Amino acid sequence: MTSMTWLVPLPVVLPLFGAGLALALYRSPRAQRAISVVTLTLVLAASATMLAVVDRGPLVLSIGGWAPPIGIDLVADRLSVLMLSVSSAVTLCVLLYSLAQGEADGDEEAPVAIYHPTYLVLAAGVADAFLSGDLFNLYVGFEILLAASFVLLTLGGTGARIRAGTIYVVVALLSSVLFLVALALTYAAAGTVNLAQLAQRLPEIDPGVRLVLQILLLLAFGIKAAIFPLSAWLPDSYPTAPAPVTAVFAGLLTKVGVYAILRTQTLLFPGGRADAVLMWAALATMLIGILGAVAQNDIKRLLSFTLVSHIGFMLFGIALSSEAGMAAAIFYVVHHITVQTALFLVVGLIERRGGTTSLDRLGGLAKLSPVLAVLYFVPAMNLAGVPPLSGFLGKIGLIQAGVDRGTPLAYVLVGGSVLTSLLTLYALIKAWNKAFWQTPPAGLPTDRHRTRLPFGMVGSAAALVVLGLSLTVVAGPLYGYADRTAVSLRARTPYIDAVLPDGVRGLGRPAPVGPVAGATP
Amino acid sequence: MLLLLVGHLAMALAAPALVGWLGRRAFLVLALAPASAAVWALTQTAAVLHGTASGAVPTQVVEWVPTLHLELAFRLDTLSWLMLLIVGGVGALVLVYSSAYFSASAFGLGRFGAALVAFAGSMVGLVTTDNTLMLYVFWELTTVFSYLLIGHYADRKASRRGAMQAIVVTTAGGLAMLVGMILLGRAAGTFRLSELVARPPSGPVVAVAVVLILAGAVSKSALVPLHFWLPAAMAAPTPVSAYLHAAAMVKAGIYLIARFAPGYSTLVPWQVVVLTLGSGTFLLGGYRALRQHDLKLILAFGTVSQLGLLVLLVGLGTRAAALAGLALLGAHAMFKAAMFLVVGVVDAATGTRDMRRLSGVGRELPVTALAGVLATASMIGLPPFAGYVAKEAALDAVRHDASGWRGGFLLVVVAAGSALTVAYGLRLLWGAFATKRRVIPAALAVDVTRPSLVLVWPALALAVLGLAVALVPGFGSDLLAPYANTYPVGGVGHLALWAGVTPTLAITAAVLAVGLVLFALRERVELWQADRHVSLEADRVYRRMMRRLDDVAAHVTAVTQRGSLPLYLGLVLAVFVVAAGGAAIVGTSWPTSVRAWDRPAQVVFGAVTIGAAILTARARRRLKAVILLGISGYGVAALYLVHGAPDLALTQVLAETVTLVVFVLVLRRLPPYFSDRPLAASRWVRLAVGLASGLTVAGLALVVPGARIRPPVSAGFAAEAVAYGGGTNIVNVTLVDIRAWDTLGEISVLLVAATGVASLVFLRRRTGAIFRAGEATPHGRPVWGGLPDPAGALRLHGTADAPASAMPSPAPTARPLRSAVWLRAVPTLAPHRRSVIFEVVTRLLFHTMILYSVYLLVAGHNAPGGGFAAGLVTAIALILRYLAGGRYELGEAAPVQPGLLLGGGLVLAAGVGIVGLLAGGAPLQSVIVDLHVPVVGTIHLVTSVFFDMGVYLVVVGLVLDVLRSLGAEVDRQAEAEAEAEAGPAGVPR
Repeated sequence: MTSMTWLVPLPVVLPLFGAGLALALYRSPRAQRAISVVTLTLVLAASATMLAVVDRGPLVLSIGGWAPPIGIDLVADRLSVLMLSVSSAVTLCVLLYSLAQGEADGDEEAPVAIYHPTYLVLAAGVADAFLSGDLFNLYVGFEILLAASFVLLTLGGTGARIRAGTIYVVVALLSSVLFLVALALTYAAAGTVNLAQLAQRLPEIDPGVRLVLQILLLLAFGIKAAIFPLSAWLPDSYPTAPAPVTAVFAGLLTKVGVYAILRTQTLLFPGGRADAVLMWAALATMLIGILGAVAQNDIKRLLSFTLVSHIGFMLFGIALSSEAGMAAAIFYVVHHITVQTALFLVVGLIERRGGTTSLDRLGGLAKLSPVLAVLYFVPAMNLAGVPPLSGFLGKIGLIQAGVDRGTPLAYVLVGGSVLTSLLTLYALIKAWNKAFWQTPPAGLPTDRHRTRLPFGMVGSAAALVVLGLSLTVVAGPLYGYADRTAVSLRARTPYIDAVLPDGVRGLGRPAPVGPVAGATP
Repeated sequence: MLLLLVGHLAMALAAPALVGWLGRRAFLVLALAPASAAVWALTQTAAVLHGTASGAVPTQVVEWVPTLHLELAFRLDTLSWLMLLIVGGVGALVLVYSSAYFSASAFGLGRFGAALVAFAGSMVGLVTTDNTLMLYVFWELTTVFSYLLIGHYADRKASRRGAMQAIVVTTAGGLAMLVGMILLGRAAGTFRLSELVARPPSGPVVAVAVVLILAGAVSKSALVPLHFWLPAAMAAPTPVSAYLHAAAMVKAGIYLIARFAPGYSTLVPWQVVVLTLGSGTFLLGGYRALRQHDLKLILAFGTVSQLGLLVLLVGLGTRAAALAGLALLGAHAMFKAAMFLVVGVVDAATGTRDMRRLSGVGRELPVTALAGVLATASMIGLPPFAGYVAKEAALDAVRHDASGWRGGFLLVVVAAGSALTVAYGLRLLWGAFATKRRVIPAALAVDVTRPSLVLVWPALALAVLGLAVALVPGFGSDLLAPYANTYPVGGVGHLALWAGVTPTLAITAAVLAVGLVLFALRERVELWQADRHVSLEADRVYRRMMRRLDDVAAHVTAVTQRGSLPLYLGLVLAVFVVAAGGAAIVGTSWPTSVRAWDRPAQVVFGAVTIGAAILTARARRRLKAVILLGISGYGVAALYLVHGAPDLALTQVLAETVTLVVFVLVLRRLPPYFSDRPLAASRWVRLAVGLASGLTVAGLALVVPGARIRPPVSAGFAAEAVAYGGGTNIVNVTLVDIRAWDTLGEISVLLVAATGVASLVFLRRRTGAIFRAGEATPHGRPVWGGLPDPAGALRLHGTADAPASAMPSPAPTARPLRSAVWLRAVPTLAPHRRSVIFEVVTRLLFHTMILYSVYLLVAGHNAPGGGFAAGLVTAIALILRYLAGGRYELGEAAPVQPGLLLGGGLVLAAGVGIVGLLAGGAPLQSVIVDLHVPVVGTIHLVTSVFFDMGVYLVVVGLVLDVLRSLGAEVDRQAEAEAEAEAGPAGVPR
């Protein structure tokens, strides 16, 4: 244990504390704003600090002093902290965006009083899912973020949102039930839910049962990550929410599913027994997702489909079961969180400027709002994998890893990913041609001054775009980090040894010996 | 070299500001960027010349992403030097030209300048990098910037379409090239261009890789069958066409082929691709150019044609051809860029590029015409121009190609193509400048305005340069030969103006003659072509393909994205059954012995639970479904109890009760029956999916536990709960201590759920006002007065004046004294809704229940109970008050905003965690304190009880929030609606 362990629970416990406080102070929007901003800034600072610390080895914190596997432990290793850092940066940007939006629109437009606590709870849930070293607590993390997402998705309670929310909530509940079934069965088979101990015990049990458990967990996470054929709910539910909500969902929620797949597949089920299936799923996700994007005429829906499609890239990397593949997948996750969130925020600006997200009713925005044009074009090209942006780096990492694998299926996947890139570009360029270049249709507000975009919204969207660009600049160290992450994930031992140093019991209070006296009521 | 790129980038970023400041003159400043590249190349000439022979050319390497073999590696050999000169020189001239081409008030010049400079920078990178992946980086950058440049006139549909076509086609090729480069790099173990060419790997993968790389070149250099994007890209402003589509970007493909040819041109697939596509493009481009009327389109097809020839020459693999190719590369950049600029001048001066409307332009614009003549002369290969020198060398090289039929075939192709070049070159010149009195009546001819000299001199400079270079062919030979020598086959040829009377000279003469004839017969050629209009035009094929793609996309999406929730759920469950169930059937074994039950009671409760669940699914009436679901839940609670888990059973019963009440509150506002009955067919499918899912879960539950070989961790809980948790109720110690982190998460879920439900009911405000009895307006409508209540009569025990129907009765005129009622706010109720017995019972029970809940909270650590159960008991007490006395009674019972309870509870629980951290321990760490209080005795206090209080508060807050929203607020809304319906007079309809 290093002296920095105290940082580990902060990303969860601070937002929860802040949420409670914000809810109790529902009468004062100003206090709520301050609480949210301060909390999430602190979380970002804590995550960023840990980034350097955990490069030397994972930080393990036993909650309540209960030694794992008895109690719950939080494990901050490279993967967790990397995900945590990106997600907290994104969460903060989106928060600032929504604050600016609230300021511009007046607070009557949205029930801000519950927005802040719910948003903070969402952040806590995401952080808990990343940090948890316990399968059941991972489930709790999912529940936290899902419950919060239900509320955020139906914010304002319009008909369309309730309808979309119904699909989202019911599918999410079904996935939770599946997760719970998987969890119960895992405990039944292995007698533990501690991830490190599961990593020790699962390889010992009957391989048939192990495969069943693997499939069950993949299904539960696959729904959350929106992998075909479990992905249809996403494009139907995301686009109706307010822009910042869609942005943060698109950036984070599916990635939590991807993270869970990455973690469980490497730690609990090494050996790549599901690789072939995952590859086919990845291929289908990429292609069917991007065809969906091509078919859309609404830019929000279009982006929702690209979101699904590009989950396939990450899954491809995971399914390669190699250091190179994992590293590429991890880098791609980081890239995709940033860029997809940025794009949805920009779409919020487009909607604000043009009054709609339908491509048929937009036009001429390049002339009307050059800033908006830059803000769309850069992340759009990034998403399409145009070099030297980060999407390209992730993609060549994947292709290199795929070529290294060298199986026919891997080559098919390489081809599929290239085709997906091309179609992504096509879909995004088509949207650009319409929204930014075509002659503005009648009815589009053209007065420059009347439709000025709030500075705070533009600024926070721009910050995310710049963050995406900076991934290119720091690509060398960042990719190295992702590579080291992949190596330790594949090795498994760094994680297990950090949690259970003597192989049986972790640090914390030692196991009591014999009957305990003096503790009767 | 990196510095050059940085310079371009900085200039591009500064461009909008510069244009804003200097107007269109800013282009003169921007021209400094590419000019610096050309000047730098010139300064390196000596180093390059000596280096290419000895292998020590200028290089520069900066690490970027070592893991991916991405490095900013640059290397300037002869080929790069030549390309750099072209890119920089033409770029600078084109920017100068642009400063006069656009009108001073044109829109978007800043953006245009930025994109053009950025494009120039990308080209500089492309031709100097020594890393294949970086080559792809610059390659794609040129594509993207060219997209922006082609689409400059964004309000024109042709621009938008041409831009999109260009980016889609070239990116498609580029991606293929990327895969090829990665295949090649992985096979060779290096991504350095110089090493790849010097030591080419072998194997089937390499052949595939090479074909893929060539695909990139084919798309970029507009070779057949991907040539169609280039004519469409002519929608771009003329400077763009001159730079991108003559000098620079389309040369990227040629550069790529020239770059790889020394190492790979002997491969069979290479030869096949280069020979067929090169010659096909050369001929087709020339042929199609003879039919165009738009001067720019003639040039575009001419460019396509010349690119074909260039591919042939640099890709052939012989040293002589390579030398000719390099010479032609330079010559073409000069004459074609000059021609584009000339056409731009004509366009600017006359407002049209249609040669059928131009007449007498040559007389009006003699300088421009001179430039045009010089450039054309070079293009069609007249001595003493650079084009002639190159073409002579080409013919010579092809003629000397030793390998039999290939040589003959090539000679025919090159000669025929050159003849076509002569023909369309002359036709272009004639079309642009000739005075066509016979063809065009004077009335139709357009007016000519004399353009600025700045527009003319870049073209003239390029054209004259084409003459000047040709006068020192030996020098050119010396410059270019070192690179040609890296090719594998044949002797290096030479460049000369006069090589004596050779067969080549004769061929040249023949070519010129045929070209002249074709020019003379131009109208017939046109008609002939129009007659043989081929339907299989590449452009149309592309468009049909894209339409097809859109159709397929729409179709696939329509199938996969039905928007039907039942379908999505069915799909998920089907995948679950097939994958998990299938894996279980195939890979696991059925347990040998199954103990059906421990106690008979389990069978009974199990049957009740299952039976109720089945009936729930069958129920058509909502209320029935809810009650049956409740029975199912109580059955589960009973199973817990029989299994020896009183804590779980208690919690389950309480939670089930609260759920039931909440459901009923909601059902008041819903129709009594589920609306649509599913079709019979889909019903059977649903039934099958449901059954299969249930059976799969049950089967897994039977099979999987058999795999356990280790004791569960919970075995240690009993001892540790006492030792460290300080409590003997394991369940409670687990909840508030061992796994308190889970509980903290779950109460945040409760908080969110409560606020979420409330937000849907209250929508705008966080929460409504608290209804206090004292604020009930004496003349308002009584609570629950207006709602139909069929069961109302059953409850009318204590009140005498029960109306027989559910007619709303007028508000009580005088409020009874407080002492006369059991519950304070009951007078606000409609009289027929009151029940004295209920009121008395509630009055008696309420405080007892509250006390009991406090007991549960405190005792929970050692006996069944705990914060959750305690909270639920308090909640049920509140529900009683609400049901007995309506919303004002609820306000009396809990005059507090639920947000405070929820927020306070979470703050308390999370605060315990933070305090633990601040105290230097782990979050949520509990401390056992034994307090000695004089009278009471020793109090055994475990700090986790504070955490449990947080849980308690959140649970109470949750139920209160739900009651206030789904109960009180819904009541209020319903009554307001009823009132509105009844009309202002308050008279029911």
